[in-house]
Amino acid sequence: MAGGVATVQHNLKMQPSISLLPSAQSSFCGTKFNTSIQYKRKVCQTKGALNVVASSAKKILVMGGTRFIGIFLSRLLVEEGHQVTLFTRGKAPITQPLPGEADEAYNSFKSKILHLKGDRKDFDFVKTSLAAEGFDVVYDINGREAVEVEPILDALPNLEQYIYCSSAGVYLKSDLLPHCETDAVDPKSRHKGKLETEALLESKGVNYTSIRPVYIYGPLNYNPVEEWFFHRLKAGRPIPIPNSGLQVTQLGHVKDLATAFIKVLGNPKASKQVFNISGDRYVTFDGLARACAKAGGFPEPELVHYNPKEFDFGKKKAFPFRDQHFFASVEKAKVELGVVPEYGLVEGLKDSYDLDFGRGTFRKAADFETDDIILGKSLVTSS
Amino acid sequence: MATLLSSSLLFSNLSPPSLSPSLSLSTTTTTTSSSSSLSSSVSLSPLSLSSSSRKKHSLSSSFKVKATIVASSEKKKVAIVNTNSGGHAVIGFYFAKQLLSSGHDVTILTVGDESSDKMKKTPFTRFSEIVDGGGKTVWGDVGAIGTVLEGLSFDVVLDNNGKDLDAVRPVADWAKSAGVGQFLFISSAGIYKQTEEPPHVEGDAVKADAGHVLVEKYLSETFENWASFRPQYMIGSGNNKDCEEWFFDRIVRGRPVPIPGSGMQLTNISHVRDLSSMLTKAVENPTAASGNIFNCVSDRAVTLDGMAKLCAKAAGLPVEIVHYDPKSIGSDAKKAFPFRNMHFYAEPRAAKDILGWESSTNLPEDLKERYEEYVKIGRDKKTMKFDIDDKILETLKIPVPV
Repeated sequence: MAGGVATVQHNLKMQPSISLLPSAQSSFCGTKFNTSIQYKRKVCQTKGALNVVASSAKKILVMGGTRFIGIFLSRLLVEEGHQVTLFTRGKAPITQPLPGEADEAYNSFKSKILHLKGDRKDFDFVKTSLAAEGFDVVYDINGREAVEVEPILDALPNLEQYIYCSSAGVYLKSDLLPHCETDAVDPKSRHKGKLETEALLESKGVNYTSIRPVYIYGPLNYNPVEEWFFHRLKAGRPIPIPNSGLQVTQLGHVKDLATAFIKVLGNPKASKQVFNISGDRYVTFDGLARACAKAGGFPEPELVHYNPKEFDFGKKKAFPFRDQHFFASVEKAKVELGVVPEYGLVEGLKDSYDLDFGRGTFRKAADFETDDIILGKSLVTSS
Repeated sequence: MATLLSSSLLFSNLSPPSLSPSLSLSTTTTTTSSSSSLSSSVSLSPLSLSSSSRKKHSLSSSFKVKATIVASSEKKKVAIVNTNSGGHAVIGFYFAKQLLSSGHDVTILTVGDESSDKMKKTPFTRFSEIVDGGGKTVWGDVGAIGTVLEGLSFDVVLDNNGKDLDAVRPVADWAKSAGVGQFLFISSAGIYKQTEEPPHVEGDAVKADAGHVLVEKYLSETFENWASFRPQYMIGSGNNKDCEEWFFDRIVRGRPVPIPGSGMQLTNISHVRDLSSMLTKAVENPTAASGNIFNCVSDRAVTLDGMAKLCAKAAGLPVEIVHYDPKSIGSDAKKAFPFRNMHFYAEPRAAKDILGWESSTNLPEDLKERYEEYVKIGRDKKTMKFDIDDKILETLKIPVPV
């Protein structure tokens, strides 16, 4: 049952469009082969089914696609030769150049991407506009509730595949980890809308694929994951971490996630399947703080551990991660799809830092209010 | 490619038609008649063999019958060099029985004297099960292994004894000179360097001066076909060293369970049948296994707190967990708790990728069985002292139960 590296290399050779475009030396296109072979594989079985390439150009609808995951995904789809339409309200720019992206590459993308402006909560509009257009495949990147999916399915009776961005947040908390796709889910979780969506897709009999990421990171992240650490590292501040700092979590690079989304397109092995997609390794909270420091070239940070029960932060979040172990096995995607994450943690954080925070860009301004409560002092600003 | 049969027919007299009739699922005798090539073999969980657990064993959770088309499918002659004490002793016991039920020849050499006091503990007290299965049990010292096993030839040797070159070299050298085709070694996941990015994966950095590391190096230089297996903690009937019992002892007496640190430390506690099945896979797929390191563990982590809770659940009893700083009890800290006070979690990625192995450990179910045995042997009624626990509770100002 050998798969992994050999198969992925084989696969990537079959998909030259994912490799570097001659002019586009953008770091985005930095697909690297994970050649660090950790153990010898004497038995090498190429799985014919994994050499599935999206052969014909498809008419693809992306719900969302202008904020984070979709930005990277839509580029890959366009590169593959598909006709891609982004359905958004237009709040964020339809296209924006990726940091470090060459003009030519961006302009090429910009000239090909299509936009359908609308509010996905306007179900009538969704149904009529989608029915009028007709799409082969839907990538639902921003769907939260099952009701949002119904009009899409109604509008597209001949839909080939519905690819949904769910969340590992659906898993029921457990003493036994990592979470696997077959594990119990929590119908009461914050992410129950995602669960209900998955259930709806299953019940409708449509060919769906559901992807459950853990914490996503990478350039343009609007969720303050790495950014939270970078702000503190830049300010030379200690990093307050709840409890022991031994809590184990997991980050997955957005580019690896986009690649995984591509891998499931038209892939019979992905039909009506759920896949966890994230990094190959997990990391402790303390370890993540240090990894961010390494990635940004900062000195080793001072970590301050505190008991969150001793504080009242009001509505503010004092730390960007769930205060518990939270990680999922990505083995199913590895074995069945040949999806192997390319970015190691420090490497991926460096990519994020070099292309985003390190250039002076970030989504949320630094806010050290809860830090100061924890540290028991308030900084007097100089200006 | 391995075909997985999920079998609810397991305990009937099932003889899958495609298999040679010499393989049977019954315990008592191993029919070793056929030395001809088997087109396929059945690998079983050894739990099917011990008659006492047969009825209780839940099929659905942890038992799988696999019809495996093996790469080289002859009957193998396997020598197991087994330690006479410690957590790993039980590995050889399960492995021997599984090999026997799969139709292989087994000789298990336990280090030391048959008359030693060490032989009064399990699994040694149950070695008759190996003999009943058609295996040979001998005793001796590794220094004299050539003499002890004189006249016998083997295809495979498993060293489940040595922790350093001094102990393993005599075995390896003898095996080499005796033309043994495949050398397997029980190493330890304890040799991995600590990481902030769990899990430990095969190929990760190890402590260069660890005894097991030097052994692995020596084996890689000595044998064409060798493999090393790195286990963590294990549970299973016949164990030689307490694991889950440590929790049961306290839970069943209504005593608090003192866990060092936060209790969030992740570890890997496998049922020993997982280790046995992985080793068997290696024996039956020698080409695939060759030259590889395998983390010999189940595929789930459990926290220390989680283990306490699962043990309590298995016993149907409440549990009170108390956390303490090990520094507060000084040198007693080592003896106070049976697990490493840190994240210590390896995943069995190589075995899954390379051998097509699957884990069957199901802690919630397996611990129920372990608890049943714990009570059956009367350990819940045994008078015990908890001196170190009491010391810990005192430092925490927790009243000591009477």
